[in-house]
Amino acid sequence: MSGPRHHPADRDAVADYLAAVAARLTGPATARVAITDELRDGLLETLERHLARGRPDREATAAAIAEFGDPHTVATAFAPELAAVQARRVALGLLVTGPLVGLAWIAAAAATASPPWRQELTGPWLALPLVGLALVVAGPALGLTVAATGQRGGRLGRRASFPPTAAAIAALAAVVADLTLLTIITGQALASPGPSTWAPVLLAAGASLTRGTLAGRALRRCLAARAAVT
Amino acid sequence: MRAEVLKGHLDALLLATLAAGPRHGYAIKEALRVGSGGRFDLPTGTVYPALHRLERAGLIRGSWSTVNGRRRRSYELTPSGRRALSDERSSWQEFSAAVSALLGGAPRPAAT
Repeated sequence: MSGPRHHPADRDAVADYLAAVAARLTGPATARVAITDELRDGLLETLERHLARGRPDREATAAAIAEFGDPHTVATAFAPELAAVQARRVALGLLVTGPLVGLAWIAAAAATASPPWRQELTGPWLALPLVGLALVVAGPALGLTVAATGQRGGRLGRRASFPPTAAAIAALAAVVADLTLLTIITGQALASPGPSTWAPVLLAAGASLTRGTLAGRALRRCLAARAAVT
Repeated sequence: MRAEVLKGHLDALLLATLAAGPRHGYAIKEALRVGSGGRFDLPTGTVYPALHRLERAGLIRGSWSTVNGRRRRSYELTPSGRRALSDERSSWQEFSAAVSALLGGAPRPAAT
């Protein structure tokens, strides 16, 4: 079924308006596309109502856009929701990857000539408590992020900046943990004959490298989402 | 009337517009405007974020369809949303009755 026809100038004005809103949205791409699609439908619906009332094309387009509100106002109104979506996505990603990366490192440590749990921490393993500290920070931050962005989160009356802040802290902790683990294993490899088998170490290092990179990107996105609501 | 004036009531009003059945964003905005006699004429673009917030709270459910060749998102009340609307209606009736009793215009006897 073909939709109502609009004058090219109207389509351009609508497209320009939506582009102006989209340029001001900060959050996951899929959420931003969904918002733009929803706004497009609403804006064209508004335009069609004005045209049906007999208004000239250009006047109807201008009236529809004015009825929607200026792009800055609309984008600002979406910012808290997009920040929550971004924070929840980051938190869930870290909750899924955290145990996997952790298991990979436990397997890698077991394969080394001197796994840390068989002796006092020495050499590069001295940095291991930093990983523990990162986990202590990340755990509550992730829990709070998931709680604040869940169904009851909106009823808790938290500030809109809370979810992206908590998620950013968790992402930073993940980056610290990954960098620390990569530093430890590099130091261990240089200081001793190395593990009896390299496969689990390379797997763990690859997992941390990938997760650390993604966590760094997630950190930047959470900070951008936080900036959009503060 | 500006959105700030409706602060605290907007969620309940949006839920009320969905009591009769599913609606898409523009239809919800129009239901607010028409249902209030033109007093609640919010910028359409600011109604959508409120709908997203209600959806995340589990009070409404959104679903996509294709209409006139474009994607359309419609919303309907969830069971939680129906309960929340019922609670809001009860609270509002109590509140408005109390305010009407005080501001209704009839002089009240002075307490002795």
